Amino acid sequence: MLSASLYIIICTARNRLLMRVRRLREPRYLIGAIAGAAYFYFAVFRRMGRGGGRGRSSFSPSALLARYGGAAGFAGVGLLLLAALAWIVPAESGLLAFSEAETHLLVPAPVTRRQLLVYRLLRSQLPLLFGAAISAVFVPLAAERRLRFGVGMFTLLVTARVYFTGVTRARARLAASSAAERSVAWAPLAFLLGAITIVIVSIVRVHGLLPLDTPEGLLSTVGRAIGTWPSALVLWPFTAVMRPLFAPSDAEFFVGLALALVVLGCTVEWVLWGDGVFQQAPDNVPEPTMGRRGSVQAARARNVGWTLGLSGRLDTVFLWKNAMQSLRSTNLVSVLPIAGTAILVGVAFATARMSATNQRAPAAALAIGSLFMAAFAALLGPQMVRSDMRGDLQHLDVLKTWPVKPAVVIRGQLLWPTLALTLWVWFALGCATAFSAAAFPSLAVGVRLSLSAAALVLAPALVAAQLTVHNAVAVLFPAWIPSGSQRARGLDAMGQRLILLAGVIIVLVVMIGPGAIAGGILTFAFYRVMGPVSIVPAAAVCVAVVAVEIAILTELLGAAYDRIDLPQVERSE
Amino acid sequence: MSLSVQHFTRTYVGSGGSAFTAVADLSFEVSGGEIVGLIGPNGAGKTTTLRSMAGILRPTAGHISIDGHDIVDDAVAAKRVLAFMPDEPHLFEYLTVAEHLRLIARLFAVEDFEPRARALLEELELTGKERSLPGELSRGMRQKVVIACGLVRPASTLLFDEPLTGLDPVGIRRMRQTIVDRARAGACVLLSSHLLHLVEEVCTRVIIMDRGRKVADGTVAELASRADLQAAGSNLEQIFLQVTGQNGDDRKVHSESES
Repeated sequence: MLSASLYIIICTARNRLLMRVRRLREPRYLIGAIAGAAYFYFAVFRRMGRGGGRGRSSFSPSALLARYGGAAGFAGVGLLLLAALAWIVPAESGLLAFSEAETHLLVPAPVTRRQLLVYRLLRSQLPLLFGAAISAVFVPLAAERRLRFGVGMFTLLVTARVYFTGVTRARARLAASSAAERSVAWAPLAFLLGAITIVIVSIVRVHGLLPLDTPEGLLSTVGRAIGTWPSALVLWPFTAVMRPLFAPSDAEFFVGLALALVVLGCTVEWVLWGDGVFQQAPDNVPEPTMGRRGSVQAARARNVGWTLGLSGRLDTVFLWKNAMQSLRSTNLVSVLPIAGTAILVGVAFATARMSATNQRAPAAALAIGSLFMAAFAALLGPQMVRSDMRGDLQHLDVLKTWPVKPAVVIRGQLLWPTLALTLWVWFALGCATAFSAAAFPSLAVGVRLSLSAAALVLAPALVAAQLTVHNAVAVLFPAWIPSGSQRARGLDAMGQRLILLAGVIIVLVVMIGPGAIAGGILTFAFYRVMGPVSIVPAAAVCVAVVAVEIAILTELLGAAYDRIDLPQVERSE
Repeated sequence: MSLSVQHFTRTYVGSGGSAFTAVADLSFEVSGGEIVGLIGPNGAGKTTTLRSMAGILRPTAGHISIDGHDIVDDAVAAKRVLAFMPDEPHLFEYLTVAEHLRLIARLFAVEDFEPRARALLEELELTGKERSLPGELSRGMRQKVVIACGLVRPASTLLFDEPLTGLDPVGIRRMRQTIVDRARAGACVLLSSHLLHLVEEVCTRVIIMDRGRKVADGTVAELASRADLQAAGSNLEQIFLQVTGQNGDDRKVHSESES
């Protein structure tokens, strides 16, 4: 099976490379490849030639953490939390997602299930290797340390991927009727919970409750706590995987790598052994991950509590459809209660801390964090949330048969992501406003509230404008948008993405510009009379201008949508 | 109720600018109550024709009109009276069967949706699967959902592309009856299939395409009486092989297997 696996991997890699070279005959790929190569040259090779970030900044996180017991220890704690989070936040590693060809050709082949799993493990290595190589190039390290960092990162990524696969499979068996299955599923979770408890108890013992006075105090406390023996013992697997990344010398690196490989081996063996137990269980539940790649998991449709009415505006049909797709395809519904609880706990803690001890730090951190979250959702959200025309290009042959005006289709596609992201931004802005006094004590209440209100007004326009541009790209250049869940790969695809990103930014500036100028003039004219409140009507004017632009653009895009020819739409590799 | 295709041509432009004409100068009409079979070998242009009629592909030249509405110039009106059932069941991954039907009902403003949907689910043996996602259904079931989406609205023109793919024998029988019933109710039906016995059984007329061109058009009896096809007899399969020039290959295969 090993030779067959290698044969498949090598042939696939060779043919993929040939296909990518051949498609350079098409201008869109050639232009993308040139842009991608230029980016690589300027961002990677020149950077490597200069010896990375050496001498650019004297600040080094690992040097700082070394003073408190070593970066690997702190990274180990982070990894432990991440490992625990994997049990709470449902995520799929995709490691056991077999392609159609694998399902039809390899699964029926006379090979054991263990061999199939090993095959999938091997197949998943190439993308991880690429990811590790890229991270090694970009990390600000001396040239001689890059190779060590890359190898360490590769080991870490492989271990994490295998672990996430094991968690996905074990989580489905937490409530299995077979005792053997339950014990295999619960054992790692029990270990994690025990490890977290030990670490927390060690921290409390070192310092007492809530060691949050200063960052140095926190680092010192955690550093000392994780160095004591019960914590050090339970953290060992996590620290061991992280150690090669921070090894200062070749000798320490090889020792660290050997230990990391031991952890990787144990993780692989745990997944394979667990799989064996799960397979032998009498009530073998359907595999959540042993499905076809890109296919919908065989889970019952979650009741979202929103039934489409039989009459009404046609653009709201798209709002409903995209909302259903998003809410069911993501784990948003299961994550929201956890996130909501965490936020409530954070808010309660920050409030209690501020009123009891007058300490502003937690509240200020919450305000800054919320602002960051709002900015992230408003600026990067439209790029990431693709439940619009970009996601629907794969359903174009269905959409095109619907008796709906093209402009209505475009407008409808914008509704759900605009609504979802706006609500997210508003929520984050609300949190930031509530604690803004702690974060920005020098600003008067009126200024803070005015800025907040202006941001609330601007948010939907900013989000909708970006989504309009992204959807315009999908309609005008459908061949450049990968359809479905597959992501286009290769130098040319990366170049295409860079060109698109630059185009989106330019168009966005052009779109927001007139509204911003009009709003600016209004603020300038009325600031003396109204004070900082004047930025609120200015924001409203900006929103009105952007709304008119979006309305005109969607009409124009409707005509372009009507002319999209299906063969133009990119099919996945 | 009528479907009209006039001088329809569809050309695909491949990488490097090379052009391939899938359908060339195709013209025919289908009246209400007619079931027309569109047959031809692989690559004949049947699916391209059907997808262009449904508004998925734009004709390179020529006109297609549904009930007098041009599919390009008056697309919304044309699509409102049209139902296209493709051979590949493309469904939204995270909408249930019932939600698919509801979505179509809203888009096509179906008035008596609830009783129609119930009857259709019963007819297509989808009762009990209303809350299932497409990923939970077999290919045949998904095909039935696509058919249900097409039939839940009162369309005057029905386009079927390989409608029996994936269906079980009972499903095939029911589907056959459904097609006949819709035509009897006055709809014009265009059906593309490789199952020549089905075409012969249900279709009132047959159009044979080969390499993008119409090579025969008429009832089976009319085709059989054509001077150049008399040697083929009255069997549609023989007529098809004769018209598409594949009977020679067939004989060769037979003689090779006999030897």
